[in-house]
Amino acid sequence: MNARIFGIEVLDELRGILREPAALFFSILMPVGFFAFFVSLFGGQSTDGMSTATRMVATFGTFGVLSVTLMNPGIGVADDRQRGWLRAKQVSSVPVWLTLAAKVTAALPYAVGVLLAMAVTAGLTGSLRASPASLLRLAGVLLLGALPFALLGLAVGFQASPNTSAGILNAILIPSAMVSDLWMPLEILPDFIGRIAQFLPTYHLGQLALAQLNGGGLSHVLVLLGMTGVAAMLAAVSYRNVRL
Amino acid sequence: MNTMVLQVRSVRHRYGHTLALDGVDLTVEAGECVALLGPNGAGKTTLVNVAVGLLPVQEGQVRIAGGDPRKAATRRRLGVVQQSVGLPRTLTVGELVGGAAIRAGVPRGASGPILAEVGLTKLAGRRARRLSGGQQQRLQLGMALVADPELLILDEPTVGLDISARRNFWRTLTRRRERGTGVLLTTHMIEEAATVADRVVVLHSGRVVAADRPDALTARLPDRTVIARTQLDPARLRNLPGVVSISVDGTFIRLGTRTPEALLRVLLAEDRTVSDLRVQGAGLEEAVMSLMNEATQEVAA
Repeated sequence: MNARIFGIEVLDELRGILREPAALFFSILMPVGFFAFFVSLFGGQSTDGMSTATRMVATFGTFGVLSVTLMNPGIGVADDRQRGWLRAKQVSSVPVWLTLAAKVTAALPYAVGVLLAMAVTAGLTGSLRASPASLLRLAGVLLLGALPFALLGLAVGFQASPNTSAGILNAILIPSAMVSDLWMPLEILPDFIGRIAQFLPTYHLGQLALAQLNGGGLSHVLVLLGMTGVAAMLAAVSYRNVRL
Repeated sequence: MNTMVLQVRSVRHRYGHTLALDGVDLTVEAGECVALLGPNGAGKTTLVNVAVGLLPVQEGQVRIAGGDPRKAATRRRLGVVQQSVGLPRTLTVGELVGGAAIRAGVPRGASGPILAEVGLTKLAGRRARRLSGGQQQRLQLGMALVADPELLILDEPTVGLDISARRNFWRTLTRRRERGTGVLLTTHMIEEAATVADRVVVLHSGRVVAADRPDALTARLPDRTVIARTQLDPARLRNLPGVVSISVDGTFIRLGTRTPEALLRVLLAEDRTVSDLRVQGAGLEEAVMSLMNEATQEVAA
């Protein structure tokens, strides 16, 4: 029964995204556009024995996946709440967690689309050096690792309007991406930024993604698991005090 | 067999130090329509939120068709039509009603007869954002009815509907009530409540101050209403002997009084141009206003 309901919830979300794709257009176009620009400039170089284009599939890919999974469910739930639709869902027999899980799940195909577009772009430059298996691992890690960010997005969406949610989530994502080795290597930034990065889940997800191409990464998994617990608590508290 | 589809017993609810509901009792029988009336801040929204399980029952008991309203199984027996819900813009009428069917655990095919019942069959492929206000209300009703609920809770369901849409809405509801669906209606449209409700419950400051048939409530009131066109200004009318209330209804003045004969004599003496004069018994609106005035005076005392 719940599987059938989950299916229709995901389907409704996907229909919504497909029929009004404007918001998603920017969350896909921006990271992929950035990626194409930088990979055309630096893709042929190499860092730590890895081609820059390959590295950028992991780092820019992390940013791309987060821009979809952090923003879409959060802004979506803020919109549902503002229109009174979340309240309608709450008085229905459908468990709210199922509706929220569907929102997050519906963002994942678009996250896969971002990764695919980046991998194809890097491949076209001729400087992508990664096996299909490692790219699949990379995609799997990023999709799973995006969970705490999706929960954070929901926590914001339960409290703020859609526009404010978009502002807050961008204010979290953009600076975090800048200092987390997602856009530019930490080596070219001041040392203190590298120390700040250690405390940011964006950094650990980026490093875990890189680890799928060059090995390691267990410590980042532990940090992300901890972050997932914290984000789940934040989302639960925010939901308990949701502004209807 | 339990025919009570909603039972609210001795419910109290506080927001911090503010007592929003103070020992409220309310029942809705199968097939019955109960209108919940009261001024803003009376506790209607809190009561509905407690009844549908959006707020916890802090004290007292709430049962929908004998079940706990916070349980999914109970909620399948409940349909809710809310005021001004923004339905998902991108989904079609057919998708929304079909989805509601699946969510309620009934076959998607159940949506066809429901669309016909609420008069939306021809609009099944239209997206919700392209519907008029009346069509959206009918769609919400269809989504609420698809699970064949035992209790329907309607929050200001006909606000913004024209007369024809309103009549269609109530006609659909009447058919459902004949099949045993109970209805709890919150509304500010008191005369509409008088027409459609079997019983009226008046809430004031979190307490039920009256619960009775609409005609029984109006019969309690000795007041009569003198209606006329007059050139006297409202301030002067208010000071006429025997006037207990005054309201302006278009070009007419409505004067509430318990001594209509004496008032008529004074009115005709004061204004020889008085026209379209008539006296009628108090309506539900006057009865509810009177009950609320009494309740306000009690609270003040």
